[in-house]
Amino acid sequence: MSSFATILHKDLRLELRGGQSTITLNILSLLILTVLTFALDAPSRSSLLAAGALWVAMIFAGLAGATQAMVSEWENECIRCLLLSPADRGAIYAAKLVASFIFMTVAQITSLFLMVFFFDLNFDMRIVRLAPVLMMGAMGFASLTTLLAAIQAQIKTGELLLPLLTVPVFIPALISGVKATQAALAGLPFAGFAQWLKILGACDLLFLAGGYLLFEQVVSED
Amino acid sequence: MKNRAGQNSIGPNWASWFGLLTVLLVSWALFMVFVYVPTEAEQGIVQRIFYFHVPCAWVAFAAFGLVAIAGFFYLRFGQKIWDDLARAAAETGMLFCSLVLITGSLWARPIWGTWWTWDSRLTTTLVLWLLYAAYLMLRAMAEELPQVGRLAAVVGIVAAADIPVIVISVRLWRTIHPAVIITRQGRHGLEDPRMIATLLVAFAAVTVLWIWLLMLRFSILRTARRLTELGGGLAELRARLSEQEPKRGRQILDLQSR
Repeated sequence: MSSFATILHKDLRLELRGGQSTITLNILSLLILTVLTFALDAPSRSSLLAAGALWVAMIFAGLAGATQAMVSEWENECIRCLLLSPADRGAIYAAKLVASFIFMTVAQITSLFLMVFFFDLNFDMRIVRLAPVLMMGAMGFASLTTLLAAIQAQIKTGELLLPLLTVPVFIPALISGVKATQAALAGLPFAGFAQWLKILGACDLLFLAGGYLLFEQVVSED
Repeated sequence: MKNRAGQNSIGPNWASWFGLLTVLLVSWALFMVFVYVPTEAEQGIVQRIFYFHVPCAWVAFAAFGLVAIAGFFYLRFGQKIWDDLARAAAETGMLFCSLVLITGSLWARPIWGTWWTWDSRLTTTLVLWLLYAAYLMLRAMAEELPQVGRLAAVVGIVAAADIPVIVISVRLWRTIHPAVIITRQGRHGLEDPRMIATLLVAFAAVTVLWIWLLMLRFSILRTARRLTELGGGLAELRARLSEQEPKRGRQILDLQSR
């Protein structure tokens, strides 16, 4: 547990000093939402388009963030020192996952405000009801990318590998997340999109369990 | 004397027998599909593609199951033979998954009036194709790394575990695909017993074809790995000889080059 706290503390402190991940994630979200507003030529108050735009921004910003977090670990062989330390592999995975989840959540709050702003929606209870959907989405995405970015970081020519690996696996979570977001923005109560939340929860559990169990295989050396 | 190349792989005899069986079964299936089975009343001649489409779909999913199982055994026991099996299964599976998408489009154009629609089974198969593509891209990019087998196994296992969730989520999303085999009410769309017989023969033919291709690819991968190992061993031997006994080492190398 203490190694988990130490690694997480290290990642958060690094972020507070440099702010690399959160700044990149936030600016990228802004950029993607702007591009989508032009590309879709969004009519105002279209919650259907807004839900899709929000998730596209989350996926691409999340991919960039995960790449940055893991590649920095592999640069200068930092990961080898982490592996040489007595820290449990599961603790390393959990710490990287929580750090990445926090950065994604910060970026999501920004893109939520931008979405309301760009798509001319109202600030009301519907936005609050989105919170569990977005947090579950970020949790699943962070647990998947933490595992897969560790694979990408070992391959020199693999800069584009992470989206190829992540997006197909994330599709069920994406479908249920977008559907739940649309339902929440349309003002439905939780019961109205409970089945989508269940699928999202199942994806989260699957990605978490898979990441936790398989991370050791990804980082260990022959 | 025992065939050295065959020690670690399925012997060439097995593959030849399977090749013969494949030729027989595929010919039989072609006869049944084009001559024996009656033409379906509503869809006409186009429906005959179904007898190859459905078995290809089964093989596409079964092959990914094999990728995950072989990957699991590779992570568990570490023998390279499992890694080669997983790679052969992924490559052959990708072939059949592409065939499913192509035969499905050919059928959908006259029947549904469109090449492609975001129906649940089509979407699931497309996602499966993308998972195959991701797996094979990873293998291609990481080919030089010693840990490529482990990385690929991890991706294969995560992707295969994800397939049930994909099926459920996409089915809830939308579906218009005909439920030919068994519907919720327990009925199936194949009224004529000859159609069922043809489908069963086609299933056997396509499955045996896949196993045959899998064996061939697998034995090529085994042979390639063995060659690489032999090459590595030879280089090591040369280095050691030239280090310890420069004169004798040179003699041996001269003999070899002759």
